[in-house]
Amino acid sequence: MKKRFPLKVSISGVRGVVGESLTPQIAARFASAFGTYLGPGQVLVGQDTRPSGTMLKKAVLSGLLATGCQPVEVGVLPIPTILFLTRERQARGAVVVTASHNPPEWNGLKFIGPEGLYLRRSQVEEFLDIFHQGQFTFVAAERIKSPLQEKNAGQLHLEKILSRLKVRAIRRRGFRVVADCANGAGATLLPQLLRELGCETLLINTDLSGQFAHQSEPVPENLGELCRRVKEFRADLGLAQDADADRLALVDERGRALGEDLTLALSVSHVLSKKPGPVVVNLSASMAIDDLASRYRVPVIRTRIGEINVVEAMQEQGAAIGGEGNGGVIWPEVHPCRDSLTATGLVLEMLAEGQKPLSAVAAEFKKYHLLKAKMDCPAELAFRAVVELRRRYQSENISTLDGLKISWPDSWVHIRPSNTEPIIRFLAESRSPVRSRKLIDKFKKEIKSIIKKLA
Amino acid sequence: MKLLKLNISGVRGLVGQTITPELVIDFAAAFGTMLPKGTILVGRDSRKSGLMVQEAAISALLSTGHEVTNLGICPTPIIQFLVKQRRAAGAISITAGHNPAEWNALNFINDQGTYLNEFQGSELLDIYHLGRFAHQKLKKSPTLITELNSEEVYFSWLTQRLRTDEIVRARFKVVADPCNGAGAGLVNKFFGFLGCELIAVNNEPSGYFPHDPEPRPRNAGEVASLVRATGASLGFLLNSDVSRVSLVTETGETLSEEYTLPIVAGYYLEKQPGPVVTSLSTSRMIDEVAAKHRVPVLRTRVGQSALVQTMLQEDGTLAGEGSGGLAFRSFQPAFDGFAVMGLVLEAMAVKQKKLSELIRTLPRYHIVKDKIVCPPHRLHSLVAETRKLYPGAEVNYLDGLHVTLKDAWVHIRASSTEPLIRIIAESPSASRAQLEVDKVVAFLNRLLG
Repeated sequence: MKKRFPLKVSISGVRGVVGESLTPQIAARFASAFGTYLGPGQVLVGQDTRPSGTMLKKAVLSGLLATGCQPVEVGVLPIPTILFLTRERQARGAVVVTASHNPPEWNGLKFIGPEGLYLRRSQVEEFLDIFHQGQFTFVAAERIKSPLQEKNAGQLHLEKILSRLKVRAIRRRGFRVVADCANGAGATLLPQLLRELGCETLLINTDLSGQFAHQSEPVPENLGELCRRVKEFRADLGLAQDADADRLALVDERGRALGEDLTLALSVSHVLSKKPGPVVVNLSASMAIDDLASRYRVPVIRTRIGEINVVEAMQEQGAAIGGEGNGGVIWPEVHPCRDSLTATGLVLEMLAEGQKPLSAVAAEFKKYHLLKAKMDCPAELAFRAVVELRRRYQSENISTLDGLKISWPDSWVHIRPSNTEPIIRFLAESRSPVRSRKLIDKFKKEIKSIIKKLA
Repeated sequence: MKLLKLNISGVRGLVGQTITPELVIDFAAAFGTMLPKGTILVGRDSRKSGLMVQEAAISALLSTGHEVTNLGICPTPIIQFLVKQRRAAGAISITAGHNPAEWNALNFINDQGTYLNEFQGSELLDIYHLGRFAHQKLKKSPTLITELNSEEVYFSWLTQRLRTDEIVRARFKVVADPCNGAGAGLVNKFFGFLGCELIAVNNEPSGYFPHDPEPRPRNAGEVASLVRATGASLGFLLNSDVSRVSLVTETGETLSEEYTLPIVAGYYLEKQPGPVVTSLSTSRMIDEVAAKHRVPVLRTRVGQSALVQTMLQEDGTLAGEGSGGLAFRSFQPAFDGFAVMGLVLEAMAVKQKKLSELIRTLPRYHIVKDKIVCPPHRLHSLVAETRKLYPGAEVNYLDGLHVTLKDAWVHIRASSTEPLIRIIAESPSASRAQLEVDKVVAFLNRLLG
């Protein structure tokens, strides 16, 4: 079979393999549809560090210009910063050329609506309808604008984060921090944030030329260098961002990668200790969140995967904190978005106020073992396989909100087709690593056999 | 009706209707697919739609793995010069030349700095129609250089080729109207090099066109009154990419754009005798000028690509047409408005004559031009129909229908840039020329109902 080059269009935007499924034509069409959807007005345009970023950005600019929008180029910036600026500038929206943590040969477009939020499901549908109908409202030549450029657009965002933290307490501790920016957009702001917080820093992978030193997902297997450097530098902790800097993973002072889900647990614990309130997380977040919530007697609301789903529920519930188990912390005090910079601030504040090293703090959350795995599978087959799995387990305690999640008293497994790549994701959590591994293996095997039958 | 015209070397249309980001990307990607690896230059005139088109074109060229040098607002002749000077693989000039502001176009330039020839043009279209473009995976960031103000090297080359000292010595006072196009601002530099005092109007590259950017008497009123008011030596009108020029004499007479060729040829052929290439639609004045210098006149289809290619193939010394666009073998194979202006001044300086005196040496013909809007699918069949008007006459089908009559000629052709039929007649008698045009217009209107 000829290799298929997927173009994934989902609530998270569009992603594809550059030169194969993601071409300037596609980018210009999406931008034209988005410009048509938003109507004339300011639209921020940002990018991550991928080598194809400028090529695709130019196509996006063209599409926005043709539909009468006023593009504002903000350059390479973290996604949370662009979300923040969209709201601050009261722009109509933003387009970011990024494929987040996908491999380097990928790129994509993320679409941000007014208020600096990702498009909601209903908005995505309206927007995609325009894209598919292909009837774009191109304006007459004399109404076409010229793009504006904005330098140092990230300052406002940093100022907002610092205004919400106990900066003096953090500075007093003079933390030694090793930060791995994964050669991503985070390198534009994280160093400055750490400086402002009085940290002594060692920065790695801050080169923005678009060559990734390691895969940009901040999972333990990609953080070998960071762990080593933390020990060498005798740091208090290590920070790992993903390429668009919405997710954060931690390494403790002994050089052990703590797993992304711990970032959320620590942040939730810290925020609830000061200001209890509802917590919103997605289906894949650790059971540690439930334990924390019951300690503070606040409800936990679980949503589908996808930042906007969490954010919508947070706004509805007036949540104190929320996020996703993949290291995406949402603290509405700064803004309602996953933000590795905000998460960095929260973690440092927590360490500054307690007197324990990170390894000791983390140990309190170590009773659960969350394992992740994935399997290649074309999107359509993936959905059919998951539907079949639902049928087989319908008598269990299941959630079909997003894929299939089966819960037992002290463990769960979550199987779902990815929104952004042609893969199926498996997550399992229990009190023992062996048990979690077994759960994943069992369901992987079962999905494989279902796919064999379906295919 | 959606207007989109493909010609040999480019694609032209109404912005937002047919000139859309996607169409631009498809054509630019086809161009990138056709060219070998290397640098491609991209420049534009000042039209408001220029950036939209430029971003799309650059995106496509980066996608096909080329290095791109973005020249920003830059006249087409300078882009063409820089292609050779930089040894670039090619260039795209984003300009609709003399068309109104709502139009724009991609003009494709090969590594020789000329518009694509017929074979290259058809290869480009084949790739475009097939729709399979050589998009690259871009494992490394492609090189994109932004280079504004690249005209210095061009002006220094040009002024070396002109008899600049003599022009400077003549201390001309010049009025110029670049129509807020790509030549705006640059004319200050250019005439500065030539020691001229410049009075410029519409000299901001804002893309706001105070009149259609077509150099011809209809648009020359402002220049003519300034020439008279300031006692200037002459006036120049430019189109939006400085590929065409028309002239205004020191008396304020607004000369038809047809005069640019014979005036410049009358001088240039003295320096560089050789065949003159022109189009079927161009005034017969050039025949008398050529006869005086004993050189042949070769007539081709209308348009820069056909004229310049013929000049190169037939060893012509200059190529030019009645629109005011001229290319010179000893300069560059491109319609170059700066070279034209420089040579007009040089002719006046060397011969020590006023422009009105240079005109006087030319035979007086009267040329009448008209056009009829016509649905694109009927253009050529209607042109063919007009053959019936001329039983027994000598006709030429090279480009529409060209008829040679006693004391007059008529040329009826489909425009290659707009859905129009153009009718041109010339005769020593003004009323005769008008009569010939009216006859065709009436006939075509009857057919169009």
